[in-house]
Amino acid sequence: MTVPASFEVSRLIDQPRVDRYAEAARDPNPIHRETPEAYAGPFGQPVAHGMIVLGLVSEAMTGAFGRTWAETGTVKVRWRTPGLTPFTATARAELKKDVDGVATYDVTCTDDRGETLLTGTATVRHG
Amino acid sequence: MTHTLDFTDLQKGQAFARLPLTITSDEVEAYLESTGESPEAWRELVPPIFLDALAIATLLSTVAIPKGVMHTGQEHESHRAARIGEPLTLEMRVSTLSERRGAIMIAFEAEITDADDTPVSSMKISVMALPDGVTA
Repeated sequence: MTVPASFEVSRLIDQPRVDRYAEAARDPNPIHRETPEAYAGPFGQPVAHGMIVLGLVSEAMTGAFGRTWAETGTVKVRWRTPGLTPFTATARAELKKDVDGVATYDVTCTDDRGETLLTGTATVRHG
Repeated sequence: MTHTLDFTDLQKGQAFARLPLTITSDEVEAYLESTGESPEAWRELVPPIFLDALAIATLLSTVAIPKGVMHTGQEHESHRAARIGEPLTLEMRVSTLSERRGAIMIAFEAEITDADDTPVSSMKISVMALPDGVTA
């Protein structure tokens, strides 16, 4: 199987999306909502859950590998900058190596301000 | 929310959660609607990162996390895909705990197993608590 060299997914992440995510993922942290705590916090406004951004990376991997991603995928990331809503996030995967049926990608997520939100590595076993 | 543990009482190696987990199609649908991902690939399977999100929800509901704690990293390994509606078990423990210049770094490991006790997914949640008075 020839694996794709690169692929990406972009999405607007606005406050209504973050609010829905907080409900769906059962994350009540007020720093992600329109709350006094968020505006008094270190970023001066609500910030998106890092896991929404990571979810976009997973979505990109799903688009490239389908259920093989769910069956064999690994991902390891660090968050670099918080996502200040609203922003358009782009998750990008670049093939690093493809050895013995395991494709390894460098993954990043950036926003439309040019900030790097997340960096890491994802692998999928396809062979 | 009633927490059973305080962040400052955590010890390296401490296991603090073992609970049943069955993910419904409604929960998957709500998650995908919130992230914006198409549900097409997830009619039968659970999106792998949703498992991580649920592990974090368990952490947040079990451990009283103080203000200013940042989620700094995440690792996930799928051993197989989790199926919607199958009975699973989630276990969590403190895998590493260290302090550097007053900042506390903790990594929580979570493992999701199936009814045969076979691993489905493993994950690591890394967080950092800054010293008092310091904000990110």
